Amino acid sequence: MTTAVSDKAIDTNQGLDATRVTPGRTLIVCTLLFVGLVVVVVLMSLLGSERLPRQASLCALATLGKSSCGLSPDHEAILFDIRLPRILLGAAVGGSLAVAGASYQSLLRNPLAEPYLLGISNGAAVGTMVALVFMGAHEWTRPLMAFTGALIATLVVYRLAQGRTGATPERLILAGVIVTTFLSSAIVFVTTLMDATRIRSFTFWLLGDLSGTTARLLWLAMFIAVAGAIVLAAHARSLNLLMLGERDAFDLGVEVSRVRLTVFIVASLLVGSSVASSGSVGYVGLVVPHLVRLSLGSDNRITLPAAAICGAIFVVVADTLARTLIAPRELPVGAITALIGAPLFVYLLRRR
Amino acid sequence: MRRRAAAFLLFSALVLSNACSARTNSNRSGGRHQTVDEAGRTITVPDTITRFISLAPNLTEIVYAIGAGDELVGRTTYCNYPAEALKVEAVGDTLKPSIERIIALRPQVVFVSTASQLEAFTSELEAHQIAVYVTDSHDLDGVFHSIEEIAELLGKQSEARNLLTQLKRRVSSVEDKVKSRPQVRVFYQVSDEPLYTIGREAFITDLIRRAGGVSVTADIPGAWPKFSAESALAARPEAIILPTGGSMGDANSSVASALKRSPAAANGRVYKINDDHLSRPGPRSVDGLEDLARALHPEVFSK
Repeated sequence: MTTAVSDKAIDTNQGLDATRVTPGRTLIVCTLLFVGLVVVVVLMSLLGSERLPRQASLCALATLGKSSCGLSPDHEAILFDIRLPRILLGAAVGGSLAVAGASYQSLLRNPLAEPYLLGISNGAAVGTMVALVFMGAHEWTRPLMAFTGALIATLVVYRLAQGRTGATPERLILAGVIVTTFLSSAIVFVTTLMDATRIRSFTFWLLGDLSGTTARLLWLAMFIAVAGAIVLAAHARSLNLLMLGERDAFDLGVEVSRVRLTVFIVASLLVGSSVASSGSVGYVGLVVPHLVRLSLGSDNRITLPAAAICGAIFVVVADTLARTLIAPRELPVGAITALIGAPLFVYLLRRR
Repeated sequence: MRRRAAAFLLFSALVLSNACSARTNSNRSGGRHQTVDEAGRTITVPDTITRFISLAPNLTEIVYAIGAGDELVGRTTYCNYPAEALKVEAVGDTLKPSIERIIALRPQVVFVSTASQLEAFTSELEAHQIAVYVTDSHDLDGVFHSIEEIAELLGKQSEARNLLTQLKRRVSSVEDKVKSRPQVRVFYQVSDEPLYTIGREAFITDLIRRAGGVSVTADIPGAWPKFSAESALAARPEAIILPTGGSMGDANSSVASALKRSPAAANGRVYKINDDHLSRPGPRSVDGLEDLARALHPEVFSK
């Protein structure tokens, strides 16, 4: 069976799909999607619990805030200090989670692989919680501990998965389940020890929340999202070959263990960064890559960049719903992504 | 076989525990009467209550203020005022009290506050013939009503009358002072990240009004809504209240970053007030009212 597939791969030498993926096509698709993302960001920043004058807002956005275009100082503050940073954070988080999810799915050859299933999100959550409870509320301790937690969880999963015959995808998923459940218990245990006021904000944070970021953390999240997506997309060809099986990939010249480690570390950085800034926004890493594969095929050279951009669009739209549905009150964005994501996923599964 | 033995043990333990609770009930001399608690439930309570448990810090403060602290046999770990309360056995926190320990303490009544959401074990306690009295106050008058009702159950009516006279005198003194002052628009920041505030059903909304202010979120449904940062800024609050300190420690001690541009922050009108005075609907709520009025209208308190 594997030889048949690899023959086909060598045969087309372009990927697993009938659709030919050329750099030109990738560029066109990604440019179109990116324009779509910019349009969504602009449109969504016109929506919110406060009504801003549309034309003046568009004009101010077009000048990137250099001219107020007649917006009152309050409106300007709402647009540029509250709404836009939140939307950009949503884009960074969505892009990070979707591209990380798509990479895990290729790497583990498991369509259900997701940061949550592998325990990486929980690792980041435990790290964040440790920062909150034991290290005070310093700006940098949270993302730093989330990275650390995600990395430790990744390395533990990776080590646990190493059997005598190497790391099989099945062992990896099992190791992920073990680490996930163990860390979930750790979260429950520490929340029991927390005082009542912290529990409230922590449980809300666990559900995913994009409000309240600082400018520096926003830049950090955006930088990691873009850099991480580029690194992962650069490994797209190796990931394509890895989907044929590790031995075949190795025969075709892929440095399997190096690629696997790089992808694991970069993806866990992406997950750690998004969990630190917004808690657990679920389903993004699962639904977005699947939708992208359904419409664009499963060649990672196009799936990975497209998933990153589509993930950004998905979370920005979901968070706009979270901000506006019951305004001026708010919903956690994680609830919205799950409400959209779960039925969509069931639909996708049934269509197959 | 071993399974069957375990099942038998469990069964006999249940029978025994039922028998025990039945016995303690029949031992209680004196009559019982029916009353309606603040959640509208009809409950049967002993005429004389000598053992009871409080499952909320505000209720613990109330029973000490009316001089019934000696009969308190259980409290939560959050009940840290007055200091004598710390000597009473703790039965867990407000969300997860130990039912076993409550039953072992043989209280006649357990007092519960709606803030703690305890419906789940109300029925379990009642199955053990322990009455559960639920308090539910949404404004200062409601707090005074709770004090009266609890005092009546515990036979401390005259103590409650004295306490209420004092408290009401302090309340009207504050209200007289701020009466002629313009209302200050207040944003009450329950937590900065995520941004929570008080809504229509929060009892603090009433405290702010009495202190000569108006909560900019007074019409929002619910008691503790998560709130949009942009709406909070657009409401242009003139003062921001940060409940912090006390049992909260240093949590919530700075203004949410979105509100740093609000008129309140620009004019330095951000006030930290001891959270224990504000979040516990009890006798110290009047301290909270005085703290609020001093913050909102310092000019009438300067003398």
